[in-house]
Amino acid sequence: MIDLLILFIGAALLLYVLLGGSDFGAGIIELLPAGNLREAQKEVINRAMGPVWEANHMWLILIVVILFMGFPTIFTTLMISLHLPMLALLVGIVVRGSAFTFRHYDAIQEEKSQRVYTWLFGLSSLWTACWLGIIAASLNRGIIDPAARGIWAAWFAPWWGLYPLAVGAFVACIYAFLASIYLVGETEVPELKRRFVRLAAWFNGLVVVTGGLVFAASMTERTSLPAAFLRAPLNLAVMALATLLFVVLWFFLAKRRTMLTRIVASGQVTLILMGWYVLYAPNALITAQGPLSFYDQAAPPATLRQLVLALLIGSLFIFPSLIYLFRIFKLSGGKQAKAAGGPGPLGS
Amino acid sequence: MAFSLGFHIIFAAIGMTMPLLMSTAHYLYLKKKDPVYLELTQMWMKGVAILFAVGAVSGTVLSFELGLLWPGFMQSAGPIIGMPFSWEGTAFFLEAVAIGLFLYGWKRMRPWVHWCTGLLVGVSGFVSGIFVVAANGWMNAPAGFDWVGGAARNINPVRAMFNRAWPHESLHMQLGALSAVGCAVGGIHAWLYLRGRAPALNLKALRIAMIFGAAASIVQPFVGHYAGERVAELQPAKLAAIEGLFTSGRRVPLTVGGLPDVETRTVKWGVEIPGLLSLLAHRDLNSEVVGLDRFPRQDWPPVLIVHVAFQIMVAIGSVLALLGVLYFWFARRGTFPRWLLWALVGCAPLGMFAIEAGWVVTEVGRQPWIIYGIVRTRDAVTPVPGMVYHFYLFLGLYLALAAATVWLLRRQILAVQQKFGG
Ligand code: HDD
Ligand code: HEM
Ligand code: HEM
Repeated sequence: MIDLLILFIGAALLLYVLLGGSDFGAGIIELLPAGNLREAQKEVINRAMGPVWEANHMWLILIVVILFMGFPTIFTTLMISLHLPMLALLVGIVVRGSAFTFRHYDAIQEEKSQRVYTWLFGLSSLWTACWLGIIAASLNRGIIDPAARGIWAAWFAPWWGLYPLAVGAFVACIYAFLASIYLVGETEVPELKRRFVRLAAWFNGLVVVTGGLVFAASMTERTSLPAAFLRAPLNLAVMALATLLFVVLWFFLAKRRTMLTRIVASGQVTLILMGWYVLYAPNALITAQGPLSFYDQAAPPATLRQLVLALLIGSLFIFPSLIYLFRIFKLSGGKQAKAAGGPGPLGS
Repeated sequence: MAFSLGFHIIFAAIGMTMPLLMSTAHYLYLKKKDPVYLELTQMWMKGVAILFAVGAVSGTVLSFELGLLWPGFMQSAGPIIGMPFSWEGTAFFLEAVAIGLFLYGWKRMRPWVHWCTGLLVGVSGFVSGIFVVAANGWMNAPAGFDWVGGAARNINPVRAMFNRAWPHESLHMQLGALSAVGCAVGGIHAWLYLRGRAPALNLKALRIAMIFGAAASIVQPFVGHYAGERVAELQPAKLAAIEGLFTSGRRVPLTVGGLPDVETRTVKWGVEIPGLLSLLAHRDLNSEVVGLDRFPRQDWPPVLIVHVAFQIMVAIGSVLALLGVLYFWFARRGTFPRWLLWALVGCAPLGMFAIEAGWVVTEVGRQPWIIYGIVRTRDAVTPVPGMVYHFYLFLGLYLALAAATVWLLRRQILAVQQKFGG
């Protein structure tokens, strides 16, 4: 049961990072100057994200639900100790989702309000992505202390530091990288395609740089990543593979093999996540009092059975409908969307 | 938390009902091929898109807040009552997929398949509403565990989900959503119609909205009465607070209006109807109704708030039911007098007030318990200091979001007006 639930959490997290991450990245990309391509770029992002962002967002909710029903101690410890980052994350999610929808569905489309929406959308995307990284980095530092009562110890210490910051930047870059790769295949406009390829190159570089920063910053932590990786050769291999795949990625990108580049980029992110998980498995968090593992902190078996049942039955409905959603909007690609004149008889 | 919920509940009610109105308009378009219905469908669709996004983000905040604010509560409650939330999550997921398909699928699916995705948005929203109320029902009528020495044992999530307060609460809530949103939408279109804007469109919109709104409003008082009976049985202290009944007795009167005074244990300025409360609560004029005197003082809910909120809800319920009857009476004859349309306009916001009042009755009426009779609210709060900042943060955020939403919906209406002139 517990293994199945860990699998579900892992899968949901992965899908959230891959699918939701591209949505976040799209927002980050819109923050960058785009010259006269700005409108065309907005158009592409609206069309690519519009149908799917709500569904992509649901993976996060799924994780929350599994945690609070199946692993209540882990959930409450997280929420208490990482209270501020969680709040920051929530504010970001609220602003982002509303700004994106408002931008598209505002009945009166005018320069000024549109600019405000875009700006809010981009800024909150960047903000939320960074906080997600900070939260992820804080899980295993061994500083989280449910018994802490002082303001600093309870509110700030668990997530404060160079290492969480570096991971935050790393996550934001990964998201922007994923989005660039993804958007290349979503447009037929040559200048825009070139722009996204250029962005992919930039963010590829930034991913490597911030990845290095993460390693460097981790030296100030209790467990430094280089040391941990040397002890776990499998992890080292996984990370090396993820880095090497960049070569393959650029080969496919040069050949304009859209689907293959997407698969490789997703593969890289999957490897990074897996490497991270394997390093700490099966612990969900490491607190000052020691690790909290999924196995020790699970709810009673009757609850887990119901949770797994709900997830399995839910999957029977969710996966086919998701596949249908992606088939209708995604694999048909940008070409058909253009032929059909954009989404809906209202245009966009 | 209460504040976030109070905000979320409005959007949730709209999010459950609007897709149904939209699908009805869409159905009529596909059947009759009258372009006005298409116009209407797409107008409502934009509203649905905006409200869904706001409902979704405010719901996300809630799911985190449960842990942020009530860690003590969630730690024991999560494994017991997580089940409706996990089903709710499933329903939301389907809803999110369906809304993506519907909003963007106009030219990519066969018309009736496309219609089905729109309907699915409404149905899954409705189902998720029914699920989530089970969680609240469980707080009112805890079930599915044994409470041994401050911890839950022998957890049975299925039994917790099918608790005894669920049927009346979810039935009443879903009807409340239909009634409040139906009447609100009907009122807005009545107003536009009266102003002479796009009369054909607005009259059609009004009729669709009021089919739901009027029908639900007529049934609602009966369901409310049923809810009252259930409360009398499950939470006598809440019923006593609702009625401002300080002393137990047989053949007790129903007090309409008035302000309960806890110090003197009397209700000032209320109108008493002899024996009616006994009759309503237990279907017997001579039955005994338990008053607050049977409970230790520290276990009383805030009587004044609960009583007043209940009076507000019932007053609104009665007005809306009357409006519903009048509406059907004139709808059968085919014309609506202007005063009825103005009445619709006047009643547009009432249903939302009733929903808020109803939740205050349920929630405040349950105090000082967070899980009735088992865990006290003050034992469940987060130990992290400085919660007021949290409150202000979300107050500001939600106010901004509410203002933005109202502003956008106003712009929708303006855009429609421009299109049709007038
Ligand atoms: C449009 C909305 C609306 C209207 C017109 C009414 N209600 Fe209501 N009421 C609600 C919306 C609502 C609600 C918001 O949906 C509540 C809160 C929790 C719940 O289950 O439903 C509620 C709760 C609620 C409760 C408490 C249930 C509990 O705590 O378990 C009672 C006793 C009533 N109602 C009774 C009535 C009566 C006698 C009405 C007569 C006209 C009435 N309501 C109209
Ligand atoms: C599943 C749904 C709900 C859950 C789990 C829930 C949870 C809680 C909790 C934990 C409390 C006690 C804390 C306190 O006293 O402030 C509470 C109180 C309260 N809740 Fe809810 N609630 C739910 C639905 C709602 C809704 C929809 C409303 C809508 C208005 C609402 C309004 C309130 C109010 C007004 C209080 C305040 C009581 C007081 O401060 O005396 N609740 N609720
Ligand atoms: C503690 C209480 C609650 C929690 C944790 C919660 C959670 C959520 C979440 C996570 C979402 C977003 C789903 C999405 O992305 O589509 C949501 C939306 C929604 N919630 Fe809640 N909710 C709560 C209370 C309620 C109540 C009391 C109702 C009403 C009966 C309700 C009805 C809805 C509906 C209908 C939506 C869909 C939004 C829309 O269609 O606009 N929720 N809720």
